[in-house]
Amino acid sequence: MLQDGAPTTRPEREVVIGLLDAFQAAERAGAEAIARWIAACPDARLRGGLRVVRARDLQHAALAEARLRALGGVPGARISRELAGLCGVIAHPGISSRSKLAMLLARVPEHAPSPLATLLRRIEGDAETQAMLETIGDDEQATLEWLRATSDALEREGA
Amino acid sequence: MTERALGFLDDLRAAEVAGAEVLAAWIDVCTHDGLRGGLRTIRGRELAHAELLAERLRELGAPATAALSDEVRQAAVARFGSPAVADEEKLGLTLAQYPDDADGRRPIAGVLPELADDPETAEMLRLVAEGEAATVAWLRAYAAGLSRRGDGAHRPTGGRRAS
Repeated sequence: MLQDGAPTTRPEREVVIGLLDAFQAAERAGAEAIARWIAACPDARLRGGLRVVRARDLQHAALAEARLRALGGVPGARISRELAGLCGVIAHPGISSRSKLAMLLARVPEHAPSPLATLLRRIEGDAETQAMLETIGDDEQATLEWLRATSDALEREGA
Repeated sequence: MTERALGFLDDLRAAEVAGAEVLAAWIDVCTHDGLRGGLRTIRGRELAHAELLAERLRELGAPATAALSDEVRQAAVARFGSPAVADEEKLGLTLAQYPDDADGRRPIAGVLPELADDPETAEMLRLVAEGEAATVAWLRAYAAGLSRRGDGAHRPTGGRRAS
């Protein structure tokens, strides 16, 4: 068990910093895209949920950035071209909310392990970061469940 | 929206602000790495909820003036920020307020019927309530892991998830 809650060796620390940096960049980009979705979303109920999702994403980005700085890193990651494309669709005011929901949900099949769970397995010897990401994973799971329920509701309503 | 519902939003905002302050004090003296990591996220949730509620109150033209009494707030910060009080005791104190994971949702569920004419706020609150329940569930799982192992070890695939 590590005493200071941080990985002991430099390579381990570099790996954790890299993962946190990529994660914070993705969460920040997602939050920005959702802000633009909210601004153009005519459905009040959907807007209410998206506001919470965006706030969570911003908090996750801040938490990951604070942790990577505590480990001696400096944020600088850029998101992948694929994620940038998805964010562009999410932010686009001319694309329906149903389509946006379908695109987001298609990235995470219902019974597949979450991307965060995969990331967690790569972090060894850093209980603090692991637990932080585990609880962030709870938020992500809640977001996914809400997105599925909302998508189903819009489908039923023919919105 | 009723005055009571607006008052609830403001009270909840104030409670989340105070909760974040108490959690910051606990994090500073927390001796378990894993617990500290989880508390950081939980504090982030409280801050996010407080900001969302403040923003919504502004949009609704309602004041955000509620605050916990200084006496109550300072006593909580002193207790949870004390290195002389064990993490296990702090977990016990927190969980005693929520005998069941769903207890975190109940106060919000009680006000939702009054928000039938405001689906945006209602949906926000539903998700905030889910966050509160997730907090209680994680703390309970962590506390159970501590008492089972007696060494503070906690694994991401702990009891709650395995069940």
